[in-house]
Amino acid sequence: MARVGVFVCYCGANIADFIDVPAVVEEAKKIKEVKISVLYKYMCSDPGQGMIRDAIVQNRLTSVVVAACSPRMHEKTFRKALSDAGMNPYMLEVANIREHSSWVHQKDKKAATEKANDLIRMAIAKSIANEQLHEISVPVTKRALVIGGGIAGIQAALDIADARIPVTLVEKSPSIGGRMAQLDETFPTLDCSQCILTPKMVDVASHPYIELIPYSEVIELDGYVGNYKAKIKKKASYVDFSSCTGCGACTQKCPVKVPNEFNMNIDKRKAIYTPFPQAVPNKPVIDATHCTMLLKGKCGICAKVCEKGSINFKMVDEVIEREVGAVVIATGYDLWDPKPYEEYGVGRYKDIITSLEFERMVSASGPTNGVPIRPSDGKVPKNVVFIKCIGSRDEAKGIEYCSKICCMYTAKHAILLHHKVHDSHAYIFYMDIRAAGKGYEEFVKRAQVETAATYLRGRVSKIYKKGDKLMVRGEDAQIGQVVEVEADLVVLATAVIAPKDNPSLARLLGVSYDKYGYMSEAHPKLRPVETAKAGIFLAGCTQAPKDIPDTVAQASACAAKVCGLFAGDTLKKDPMVSTINNEFCSGCQNCVKVCPYQAIVTEEIPLGHGSKELRTVAKINEGVCQGCGSCVAICRSMAINLAGFTDPQIINEIVAI
Amino acid sequence: MITLGLLEKNTFLEAVNKKSGANVLECYQCGKCVSTCPVSSYMDFPPREIMQMIKLGLKEESYMANSMWFCLTCSACSGRCPREIDIPAVMEAIRHLAIEENYRSENKKVKDIRKFHDIFLDMIKRYGRNYELRMMAEFNIRTRNLFKDMHLAPKALLKGKIPIGHESTKSAKAIQRMFKLAGKLEKEKR
Amino acid sequence: MNKLTYFPGCSAHGTSEEFDHTLKLVMKTLDVQMEEIPDWNCCGATSAHVMTENLALALPMRNLVLAEKLENKTMGIACASCYSRMKGTKKHLDENPEQAKRINSTVIDEGEYQGTVEIKSMLQYCFEEIGLETIKSKVTKSLSGLKVACYYGCLLTRPKDVTQFDSPEYPMSMDLLMEALGAKAMEFDFKTECCGASFSISNTEVVESLTGKILEVAKESGAHLIVVACPLCQSNLDMRQPDIEKHSGKKLDIPVMYFTQLMALAFGYPEKELRLPKHIVPVEAALKHIGDPVPEPEKVKKTKKAVEAESEVE
Repeated sequence: MARVGVFVCYCGANIADFIDVPAVVEEAKKIKEVKISVLYKYMCSDPGQGMIRDAIVQNRLTSVVVAACSPRMHEKTFRKALSDAGMNPYMLEVANIREHSSWVHQKDKKAATEKANDLIRMAIAKSIANEQLHEISVPVTKRALVIGGGIAGIQAALDIADARIPVTLVEKSPSIGGRMAQLDETFPTLDCSQCILTPKMVDVASHPYIELIPYSEVIELDGYVGNYKAKIKKKASYVDFSSCTGCGACTQKCPVKVPNEFNMNIDKRKAIYTPFPQAVPNKPVIDATHCTMLLKGKCGICAKVCEKGSINFKMVDEVIEREVGAVVIATGYDLWDPKPYEEYGVGRYKDIITSLEFERMVSASGPTNGVPIRPSDGKVPKNVVFIKCIGSRDEAKGIEYCSKICCMYTAKHAILLHHKVHDSHAYIFYMDIRAAGKGYEEFVKRAQVETAATYLRGRVSKIYKKGDKLMVRGEDAQIGQVVEVEADLVVLATAVIAPKDNPSLARLLGVSYDKYGYMSEAHPKLRPVETAKAGIFLAGCTQAPKDIPDTVAQASACAAKVCGLFAGDTLKKDPMVSTINNEFCSGCQNCVKVCPYQAIVTEEIPLGHGSKELRTVAKINEGVCQGCGSCVAICRSMAINLAGFTDPQIINEIVAI
Repeated sequence: MITLGLLEKNTFLEAVNKKSGANVLECYQCGKCVSTCPVSSYMDFPPREIMQMIKLGLKEESYMANSMWFCLTCSACSGRCPREIDIPAVMEAIRHLAIEENYRSENKKVKDIRKFHDIFLDMIKRYGRNYELRMMAEFNIRTRNLFKDMHLAPKALLKGKIPIGHESTKSAKAIQRMFKLAGKLEKEKR
Repeated sequence: MNKLTYFPGCSAHGTSEEFDHTLKLVMKTLDVQMEEIPDWNCCGATSAHVMTENLALALPMRNLVLAEKLENKTMGIACASCYSRMKGTKKHLDENPEQAKRINSTVIDEGEYQGTVEIKSMLQYCFEEIGLETIKSKVTKSLSGLKVACYYGCLLTRPKDVTQFDSPEYPMSMDLLMEALGAKAMEFDFKTECCGASFSISNTEVVESLTGKILEVAKESGAHLIVVACPLCQSNLDMRQPDIEKHSGKKLDIPVMYFTQLMALAFGYPEKELRLPKHIVPVEAALKHIGDPVPEPEKVKKTKKAVEAESEVE
């Protein structure tokens, strides 16, 4: 005969103010299996847990019901209390009388109390049918896959590798470095981006625990936490990296010029190119969409000048496989195309540029040697207008959210403009100045006071041409007047958006993404680094717009998560997983289709005992199964059982109300 | 100074939202409408400020403003509004509410503008169509500004720019009936 | 032959008679038969909707009901203001059938409103239904050498959800039409700025300032004349010019013509058909630029092919 203990929590005033807890305790006593029913102010506290432990021993309990807050909060706490008292921890049931009753029925104490009684009765009934369960152990492959070689991917890879865990870093473009490599100086300290980034890039290349696979993409991921198998496509670079010395003769002699995407198309690169001088690896690749040899079979000059014979026009894409235990996604961000701002004449006026174009211009290694110029006539601009929130906070044209970094980099641009062109002046149109961060407000003050940048509060409504000037019209709400600024150059702070490939990557990795294309974290506050899929983590702007400090912090957090995951030889996992009863399984495979975690596959088993004919049945990978129960609900032959939520348990609950 | 009390129920905001179909609460005061509006400098409260006044429930101040009378309904503001608020509809809502609730601005310009519209509608009621020369003349008489634009008249008349004769709809009765019935609908609505 | 229901609007029979006249000539050449709505009435213009909601819907509705009786697919409207009122009303009525029924009761003698007529401005009709190729094929006298600034005003392309035509900020349809006639359309930033037409009588101070700015920018674009598609824009920009010049002390002297006048000219109609004497700012001098030698396009505008070729081999 079952012997149940019921432990009701006041939760301070959270529960007791809206539920008649003493009455609830008495109500539970009416059930014959209940051997003890008690009340305590904070059941989760040490004395509270002590009450449970003592009662288990003294009353020889077979199961325990705690009526308190959500199991998401303290289920683990109370399971441990059961274990400590020598009871199987899965004999616990939590009746959530806080979130499900006291908090949502604050205006009706009587009804809230009745609901609490129902919830507790259900939990008691269920616990009577509980079975002893044991944690599942899964083996773990101690290698991490990092997707994306910007500062997020670099930091995550270095931190994981420093813990002597092998890392495979996959980068889409020919070099790692990402967006940060394109930046000149960084806020709020104005240290040179290249100077702080390139050492880390070199560390990646030389780290014994890091395998760098540039110019490649992840195209498939199978398996589950601790046991993933990734397929990686190495795009044909037409250059044999193992023999290439990076001497640069080929890029020098190549006759084909194409817009240079690293410099925001301000200048040209060759068809065989390394994206920038500090590239890692410092080996060129051939851009197949522009190389005349690959397109028309003519030229081949690069092959002629290469002393090592590293050029191979016959190279094809190659797919390789890696087994990994965890994945870090760090795909970064893109910038929004401001074309919809027709009222600014975007696309018609050459002297309207984006912030990243300005960034490349002021970069000492940039296409204009660090001096900003007007693209229309090459003159150095004096009056420069910066416009923030282009596409950001603009539902009509762009996206709803704030891109977070534009206020800061625009302040930086005002300062840099002043550094590069001493007799210049910066006008900044803004809606709000968002400078929440260490040293950030001070940095904005520096732009306002030291640089004397003029901040104008208002969204620009129109830009038109007058002579060789651009007239920028907006309201200065502070004086309540419409102003027109005569600009030599206009710089648009375009919105940060998710890379356009994020959704397809998310689908192939099996993680979710939001309506903007950013990868979704498991919990917006308490699990910002994990995805809902165990063993896959997020670093940097792939999750939401971020600045460099936040990106690096999140990348290191990813590394900590990966190291934690790999700390033991096996992974422990809750035993609430589904199992298939082969005798009942008809092989319809509906469960395979509904499983959101791809945890169900099929297998062939003998048709009957000793039969040579085979039939198909479903098979659940308990390492992947998250215990959601979708398969149980869809199974027409009732062949699937979910541990912890068996039919007898559920039926008991239903009967109890 | 304006004292703001407990704004539990902003009936003015509700009335404007209902009539305009817009949601004024969406305005985040970026001011793009102000620098877009061709006549904002003539308004005593430009669109951005009107929006805030509605949010604060400043009914009388809004009704007595000249802003909605100066609004040209050119829709440039709503076309550029990042929150896609139909600002001309909001202006129109305040104007119609002010008319319904009998608020009359003493501002000379507002009075002129209202007079013009009255004369115009009168003209349509009588002829079914607009008769431009008569329109100009009547406006000048009723605003006691007989010689306004008179210097334009000889040239315009001589060049045939403004014809002297005029046409009218044949079924003038149908138009008058329409005016009557539409007026009735207007009253029923209140 | 195409048939088109035609709504001229009050000014077409008044201040903008030359628009109406040349439109009819042009449509004849383009083989379009225009059927004017019998006994149409004023759309109510700005005044109706400023003062009353129901009348503002009832006035255009009567015209819509009358237009439906003609059973042509499309109704073409000459005046941008009428176009905006009529199309806006139709959208509103179609979205609010209950209210449509109520308003219909005020004009029920004319018939029941169906909502079957498609409304287009005459510019839109030329651009979308006739097409630039056809128009080009009818040109007998190219306007090459003439530089024009196309002014669309506010209501031809705004609000976008009503007009469903071209860009509300930088439309190009009239520019392309002018280029089809051989003229050069200049880059002009004030294409859709409001000229304040609804204040043309009641608030001339505002009108002069708005119109003055538009004229100034048009003049700076290097255009010989301004092309419009709306009688209110035309009379505002044309008639107010002497006053603006007097007050600002700056000489503007830029004529304002209807796109149909230039089409008629390019289609070979004699100048006297354009009714040029009606213009306050004389047009003749500007038209003398037709036939001016056109300088070779600078190397700035490279063809697509040239750019590709350059990107390949240097």
